[in-house]
Amino acid sequence: MLQRLRENKAWQGTLLALPTTLWLFVLLVIPLFLTLVVSFGRRSPDGGVIYGFSFHNYLRLLGYSTDCPGGQAACFDPLYAGILWRSLTLAFWTTVIVILLAYPLAYFIARSHPRRRNTFLMLVLVPLWTNFVIRVYAWMMLLREQGVINGVLGWIAAQFGIPFQPLQMLYTPGAVLVGMVYEFLPFMILPIFTSLEKIELPLYEAAADLGANPFRTFLRVTLPLSMPGVVAGTILVFIPVMGTFIVSDLLGGKQVILVGNLIQNQFLSARDPTFGSAASLILMIMTLIVTYFYTRKFGFGEEIIAA
Amino acid sequence: MSKNLLFKLTVLLTMMSLALAACGGGGGDETTQKVTSSGFVCPEPEQKMEVSSQELNLFVWTEYIPAEWKECFELVYGVKINHDEYSSNEEMYAKLSAGGTNYDLVQPTDYIVGLMIRQGMLQKLDHGKLPMSSFDPNYMDLPFDPGNEYTIPYQAGTDAIIYNADKVENPPKSFADLWNPEYAGRMVFLDDSRVIIGMTLLTLGYDVNTTDPAQLEEAKVKLAELVPNVKLFDSDSPKTALIAGDVDLGITWTGEAFLAAQENPAFTYVYPTEGAILWQDNWAIPVGAPHLDAAYAWINYTMQGNMFWMMLRDFPYINPSLAALEYAKENQPDLYNAYMGSPITNVPQEAIDAGHRIEDVGDATPLYDRIWTEVKGGE
Repeated sequence: MLQRLRENKAWQGTLLALPTTLWLFVLLVIPLFLTLVVSFGRRSPDGGVIYGFSFHNYLRLLGYSTDCPGGQAACFDPLYAGILWRSLTLAFWTTVIVILLAYPLAYFIARSHPRRRNTFLMLVLVPLWTNFVIRVYAWMMLLREQGVINGVLGWIAAQFGIPFQPLQMLYTPGAVLVGMVYEFLPFMILPIFTSLEKIELPLYEAAADLGANPFRTFLRVTLPLSMPGVVAGTILVFIPVMGTFIVSDLLGGKQVILVGNLIQNQFLSARDPTFGSAASLILMIMTLIVTYFYTRKFGFGEEIIAA
Repeated sequence: MSKNLLFKLTVLLTMMSLALAACGGGGGDETTQKVTSSGFVCPEPEQKMEVSSQELNLFVWTEYIPAEWKECFELVYGVKINHDEYSSNEEMYAKLSAGGTNYDLVQPTDYIVGLMIRQGMLQKLDHGKLPMSSFDPNYMDLPFDPGNEYTIPYQAGTDAIIYNADKVENPPKSFADLWNPEYAGRMVFLDDSRVIIGMTLLTLGYDVNTTDPAQLEEAKVKLAELVPNVKLFDSDSPKTALIAGDVDLGITWTGEAFLAAQENPAFTYVYPTEGAILWQDNWAIPVGAPHLDAAYAWINYTMQGNMFWMMLRDFPYINPSLAALEYAKENQPDLYNAYMGSPITNVPQEAIDAGHRIEDVGDATPLYDRIWTEVKGGE
């Protein structure tokens, strides 16, 4: 038996993949299937599920409404589509800013002396040792009206005798963006660093020999060769930002409902698991669509994932 | 020299541990007194009940039980306590209705009690085994459970207005006053659709539990004007933003208001003229609870005056136990005076009479959520 297993490569593969497959089947495939079944149902008056097959939860999410102000039979209701759109734009801008901040830093680390490189990488990772929520609370202390930043600014202003009105930073959309960018920055720095580090120095020499100036070298050599890192980083940042709501809750003061909040509210305060399931699936589909088109254009960053 | 020192130390430590062991062996009568790890001497049960169960499964709100209770109950009854927590009624309801749980006691709030009774999730209580006479009648026999067939009160509270008297020139007297432009950008509200939509309904003269779509539509329009003036929504710890000075007034609940006022006496709690929102958390026993005897023993023991007074110390809400207040009056005068002296905890009778209670609205629940999403999501 053991002898046969040793010779049969196909069996070995199956055996090695079995634990993960089983894990994913029990904890991903089955729950996802249940979510799908529930999403086609209707809410009972007490918040249970009446099973059936109807698309009304999906139609409602996409803006189809039968409760119209003008008394028409059907009209467009932008409420939920607007929430989806807002989550999408927030994820987009977070990703863009994270790329702009992460690229120069990753470049700096990749070009630094190998002895110091590990120290720098360590410094990037150190914040991840602390729980995410605690770090968000730290931002609240920094940003609040009588917080650290306003305190320092007020002190400087007082030195010059300038009247100072504390800045309103906490509980604004800007605070949410700052928190998101901060949270996901390491996930962009590391893959970009990996791809930059792999670029061989002779390539730069060749570019210089062929008469390219540094700017042109960057554009034609460095950037294309580091794209796999940017792509991998984008996937690591964009997808979680789409579903995150804790940052907007704490730094945004819960004034804005994102798709993550919407889903949470359906399962808790609205007790409408059918609508919540539909919203979860729409979020997944939307993320998949964006990722699909993105990776078709730029690839999956396979080299990074392989590295 | 250092080796010599090490040897001496070892000898000394050995002698000390021997001496301690001797002490432990000698004091045989100490075992009769039950002391928790924090040094609290557990009182004996006033009425020791027959308990054959080995365990008790509690499903309670996060941070809602004094630490000593568990230890004392384990010491007194020899029952092991398993303790799960939840942070919203909906979470508790979802977990119980999914089935497969074996909890002996839960702490549902008033509006979810009716729903759980209708769903057949709670079992009737045996009043003969409970300290029924120790409760303040104000918190008994309420509409969500007439005759207390399924629940007994645990803690109660209000949702009302709080303001910082140092910063707010014209204090609000009613929920309607909150629309005052002077308060724009200075308010914290509870992140609770039923409470905030409910208070808007009250300002329009409607019932806090209305299911009439026209009334709700009117409330939505009115609330949409107010939401941009609210700086943040926070149900977990609204006092933090108040104390930190990020906001000067808002809608909050008893415990948070009490703690904010302790931190800074300028914080004043107002029962609005429309009437505050009243709420009450309760003990209830789910159907199929495996350790009934231990559940009754737990309620009896922790509801004793010499145990339940700890709620005054740890959780400054409205305490419905007359036995606890009586005990505190004699033995914890500081806690008792702070409790009785504050209108936040010692609610004036007229505020209770004018108050409103949130009830489950059934089919209208998603409508409330939709309005909430709309007023918050509207740009």
